[in-house]
Amino acid sequence: MPHIHRPPIHWRSLGLSGEPDEAVDEAEFPEGADRAPLAVSRRQFGKLLGASIALATGQGCTGRTPEQILPYVHQPPTVTAGVPTTYATSMMLDGYATGLLVESHEGRPTKVEGNPEHPASLGAAGVFEQAHVLGLYDPDRARRPRRDGAEVGWRQVLDRLSAPRADHGAGLRLLLEPTSSPLVHALVTQARRRMPEMKVAFHAACDRGAPIEGARLAYGRLLAPQPDLRQAQVIVSLDADLLGTMPFRLRHARHFAARRRQGGRLYVVEAMMSVTGTMADNRLQRRSRDLPRLAAALALALGALPAELVTACARVAQGADGADETWARAVADDLRGRPPGTTLIIAGERQPAALHALAYALNERLGNVADMGSPLGFTAPAIPGPRDDGAQQTLAALAGDLRAGRVDTLVTIGGNPVYDAPVDLDFAALVRHVPDTLYAGLYENETARASRWFLPLSHGLESWGDGRAYDGTVSLQQPLIRPLYSSRSPSELLAALGGVRQPDGLTLLRASFPAGVDWEDALSRGFVDGTAEPPAQVHLTPAAVAQAMGALGPPAEGSTALEIGFYLSPTVHDGRFANNAWLQELPTPVGKLTWDNAALLAPRTAQQLGVSDGDRVQVTVAGRSVSAPALVIPGHAAGSVSLWLGYGRHGAERLAEGVGVSAYHLRTSAAPWFSDGQAVKIAGRHELAVTQRHWTMHGRPIALAATREVWRRDPKVAEAHRGVQPSFFGPPQRTPALRLADPSAGPQWAMAIDTSVCIGCNACMVACQAENNVLVVGKAGVLVSREMHWLRIDTYFQGTPEAPTVVHQPMLCQHCEHAPCEYVCPVNATVHSPDGLNEMVYNRCVGTRFCSNNCPYKVRRFNWFDWSERQAANQGVVRMQRNPAVTVRERGVMEKCSYCVQRIRRAEITAREQQREIARDEVVTACQQACPTGAIVFGSLNDEASRVAALRRDPRSYEVLHELGTRPRTTYLLRLDHPNPEVT
Amino acid sequence: MKSAAASEPVLIGQPSDAELGDQLLAPVWTRLPRGFYIIMAIAGLLSLLLLALVTWTIWTGIGLWGNDIPVAWAFAIINFVWWIGIGHAGTFISAILLLLEQRWRTSINRFAEAMTLFAVVQAGMFPVLHLGRPWFLYWLFPYPAVMKVWPNFKSALPWDAAAVTTYATVSLLFWYLGLVPDLAALRDRAPGRVRRIVYGVFALGWRGSARHFQRYRIAYGLLAGLATPLVISVHSIVSADFAITQLPGWHSTIFPPYFVAGAIFSGFAMVLTLMIPVRKLYGVGNVVTMRHVENVCKMTLATGWVVIYSYACEFYLAWYGGETSEMYTMFHGWTTGPNAWVFWLSIACNMLVPQLFWSKRVRNNQWLVWVMSLAINVGMWSERFSIIVLSLQRDYLPSSWHGYRPTMVDWGILAGTIGLFTFLFMVFLRFVPFIPVQDMKELAAELRGSRASGTADDRKESA
Repeated sequence: MPHIHRPPIHWRSLGLSGEPDEAVDEAEFPEGADRAPLAVSRRQFGKLLGASIALATGQGCTGRTPEQILPYVHQPPTVTAGVPTTYATSMMLDGYATGLLVESHEGRPTKVEGNPEHPASLGAAGVFEQAHVLGLYDPDRARRPRRDGAEVGWRQVLDRLSAPRADHGAGLRLLLEPTSSPLVHALVTQARRRMPEMKVAFHAACDRGAPIEGARLAYGRLLAPQPDLRQAQVIVSLDADLLGTMPFRLRHARHFAARRRQGGRLYVVEAMMSVTGTMADNRLQRRSRDLPRLAAALALALGALPAELVTACARVAQGADGADETWARAVADDLRGRPPGTTLIIAGERQPAALHALAYALNERLGNVADMGSPLGFTAPAIPGPRDDGAQQTLAALAGDLRAGRVDTLVTIGGNPVYDAPVDLDFAALVRHVPDTLYAGLYENETARASRWFLPLSHGLESWGDGRAYDGTVSLQQPLIRPLYSSRSPSELLAALGGVRQPDGLTLLRASFPAGVDWEDALSRGFVDGTAEPPAQVHLTPAAVAQAMGALGPPAEGSTALEIGFYLSPTVHDGRFANNAWLQELPTPVGKLTWDNAALLAPRTAQQLGVSDGDRVQVTVAGRSVSAPALVIPGHAAGSVSLWLGYGRHGAERLAEGVGVSAYHLRTSAAPWFSDGQAVKIAGRHELAVTQRHWTMHGRPIALAATREVWRRDPKVAEAHRGVQPSFFGPPQRTPALRLADPSAGPQWAMAIDTSVCIGCNACMVACQAENNVLVVGKAGVLVSREMHWLRIDTYFQGTPEAPTVVHQPMLCQHCEHAPCEYVCPVNATVHSPDGLNEMVYNRCVGTRFCSNNCPYKVRRFNWFDWSERQAANQGVVRMQRNPAVTVRERGVMEKCSYCVQRIRRAEITAREQQREIARDEVVTACQQACPTGAIVFGSLNDEASRVAALRRDPRSYEVLHELGTRPRTTYLLRLDHPNPEVT
Repeated sequence: MKSAAASEPVLIGQPSDAELGDQLLAPVWTRLPRGFYIIMAIAGLLSLLLLALVTWTIWTGIGLWGNDIPVAWAFAIINFVWWIGIGHAGTFISAILLLLEQRWRTSINRFAEAMTLFAVVQAGMFPVLHLGRPWFLYWLFPYPAVMKVWPNFKSALPWDAAAVTTYATVSLLFWYLGLVPDLAALRDRAPGRVRRIVYGVFALGWRGSARHFQRYRIAYGLLAGLATPLVISVHSIVSADFAITQLPGWHSTIFPPYFVAGAIFSGFAMVLTLMIPVRKLYGVGNVVTMRHVENVCKMTLATGWVVIYSYACEFYLAWYGGETSEMYTMFHGWTTGPNAWVFWLSIACNMLVPQLFWSKRVRNNQWLVWVMSLAINVGMWSERFSIIVLSLQRDYLPSSWHGYRPTMVDWGILAGTIGLFTFLFMVFLRFVPFIPVQDMKELAAELRGSRASGTADDRKESA
């Protein structure tokens, strides 16, 4: 047993000492071979639970019958029953690492938080990170290896992988997801040493190559742009979803918010309204293909550029209309008016490399590119750039080899190329054509079905690994639990390919870990400090940029054709999270669509096509078509139809089956993000499970917003919307209110939400769901408005449907001091606590729903059924995720936000144990902790110096529906925008 | 009554006590037409459907219904208010008209009361059924709990529970007490031994002595006195379920009188619905005369106008209050929102249809009156739908607005209660005299007496 000590929070994995030895015996008797392949039974659950701890401590109980679950006979020293432990690990998404802290209850990971020290997280965790833990417990995960559909033992698999090849690997191809992992790259190199002729290809649906390739154009080598939003007073986003889908989005969001609080300005030009677009001070709706034109117009308006660049831009900007030019002039004036090095122009990954190169050139022009501390720096990319040489090939080249029959064995680890490869490659047919194919994945998905061998991959929370953050910081992925099923990690499989007969993730990782770095320290912190890539010195080559821009040429004639745009789904990403019930039920930030994708279009385009929400639209690109239901999105660019990727799955994932249509059917290698196409209305309707069907506030003062100009003129805008209305009966008298004046009364909990920096990313929603055991109701449930989210994000549009402004308003129980729900409950099931919480007593609730009727905020959620029994998504092994500190609600009772009362009480207990008061801002709610922008602040009103008390005193503070006299404890801060009056 | 002069009398002919007894007790003995049993069978099947759906609901959860958030209350509460409202006319007829000494009430009071009782049975089911956890219903009552937890008396629902149980109890006692002398008559005339014993048990040893009659009178009067405030209070309390909230469309001080008027309005409509076929079926047109039909029509018209006035008040106050959300709910949500047609249906049925009762020709056309009474019943159900569902659909935050669509289970339960109501009512028709025999004899005797003393008005009543 290794030495054990307890640093304050993070700690090494339990899996450390439990050396898996199952490879020896399971070849004959695979684990669970005697059981039906169903969800994990209670028995198995107990065994896993006990075993993961017991093995970790080397004190496994033996000789017990399988009927018994294993209690702590000998308590492991690292574990106190009922007190969760937190471990540092990382999550790999699109090849980049995000540092996480994962809460574990007696060896069972339950909740993901961001690692405050990690550069990609800064303490925040987005929707994918939050939902990571549910992915671990997905009942549809693959459980054992198969060959031609029949189960096989791992020994056979490893033998097959490590078998020596006479052709030095010439007929072997390895297909991986792009990764920053030093370990994976080392293992690939090792495998190539053994089989020098083997070639590796990297493929992911979201191709992140354009910014790096743009740097090659501008600076002559592959570099990753490193924007620093803290330094940018003005940001111009050209289709760049900085806060939504780009790597480092959590960090960007944090920095964006910090800047916005001081009055930054964000311009966004895009087609589909992204999370970033909703935060724009000035947003311009343009089709994706119009972006180069607009950027060129901006370049011309900025002036003082090298002559060849001006010529090229003039060519590209030919099609610019008056509105484009007005916009370009106004933005250019704004940019020029700022001191050098305080602005940022950033292009999106969906845009061609030439546009990125132009953006870099413009940043150079504005003095934004310099050393660290400037808005834009460059480093060597964490994911090595694409190469097409002896060792590496592109997916297209791989497809060529497959087609030519030069490949006898294709090993695919991770990803789902059969599903998401460009449609023109016809990858599915090619894979079937290969004599021997091995696919390793979490699920027996489309690629698994096309491959001969299927190998289950271990989930990130149950295997060792590493990766690098976008800035290069080496991050460690340590398991929190032993693999639930008979699975292997990607590095173990690669090691087998390299000839290792008994690969073990930890040994491999330790072997590749650089000497001289404190392993224990790195593990406990989750990353290796100081491994970020150093800034690169860059020198712009304007001629190359000009040439690349020139190659884009003026807009083609006939650009009146409809544009079909493809976007990563804000909920299921590229399809990898399609079986994650939390994410499927998560309303998209714009559109509020769950359990579906849709053809998103502007009101005007919808009118032209004659469709309304739910009407089927046939979308055609280059002769291929899919039919998707229409969903009208205010602020969508006209003349463009957008589709989210990641739907229309046909693998073994049961929840994902039949949800939406696959936009990959339209996506070609030539036009991965947008292309010309057609859309026509066809017969039929499809019901869309939309959680918010009304976008306007009907003139009611619900989510307040003001421009800085208005604010400067009248800083009392919000004053009329807070405080108690004068009443004929005098001010209301109520115990908690009276206690407020008395500092000895203990904390008075309250929350303040700054809608100015709420980007509507939904991280809080998933965090709440994970923390509070909020169950999933499925599409049918959402259709009848029975979703259970305690916290929802109301998104209101103002202005015209063509060019609206947006306010996100997270809506949760307001914990009214004068709660309308309380007096109508016949059985006192919802009552007020002395510390100001509106409490829900589940045991006492009889389910009259009177409280919900009287709740003006409609934040109460009712258990219409026993969701945990009725919904497949809540059943089986996913129950291992449940937070033991929170009751799983029975059918027939009402539930709602509790201000994470379990966290409050835990803090109280800790404070009492340590004989002290609860420290200022010590209690952090789940939503607050996840929020990347720090928009949510929680604390005690009794403490004048607490952040929440300060925010309540802020002149922007207001109460929603204050006129009803409910005196909510949750207050909001008005959204302040800083639009450029010249633009609008 | 001025118009009474031109109407039919409350009793046609001058039947002797024996004749009255024979005629009114006969339905209990005679074979009824096949149609009666067919309808009863259909009603019985619907009752079984109700049983099945209620079992399913309790077994699975009320998610089987169409309710959602924000429309957390829907069919169950609509049905509850509707049924209990229907009951009110029965109590009104038997108690208030008794105290007001309205003679025409005599022949219809028994089955109006039965209607009340059976309607309360339907209504009483819903507050239980609509709970998320119906097995904890008793928590709504103040009982000496070990944990010393009391209901929350600020909420209208414990009042509701108290009001409805009181109402059910008083209605049952009132109806049963009135039945005792007739049960004794049945006992005395029953052809078989079994029936004699059964009726004998229920007759509680009534011998028709003067002392019995004296005490009976006192008890009946007291119960009438008890029942009278219930007509007002029960529906006022039901209306408080809505009025005490701050939901636009519910938050209104007009609700108690408005609900009481609506209740009596719908109850009289239901009396017409039941009375017209029954007097045809049993050929008791001489006892339940067109005068009764006309009087009930007039009552319906009068209460209908109170309802119209209440509607006007409600909309006027919403406008006058000037509250944005309430104005939106009332003027847009109700009139043009999802399910708005139900609101317009209620306006048509409750405001327009009763106006036909101004015409004497209409009042004397039984079948037209019957169809109209059905329309009013539909209208009053729609009115409750409007108040409950249309208001919940459109409250303060547009983000949470959502429509409502009932499921087949909702419709099935509504149909089931109608079936059970019909079934119970037909059982009642079959086994006890639905016209109070003893009271009719008394009325006949009074009419004979007044003829002797020669009061002009009374002479007309029995001409």
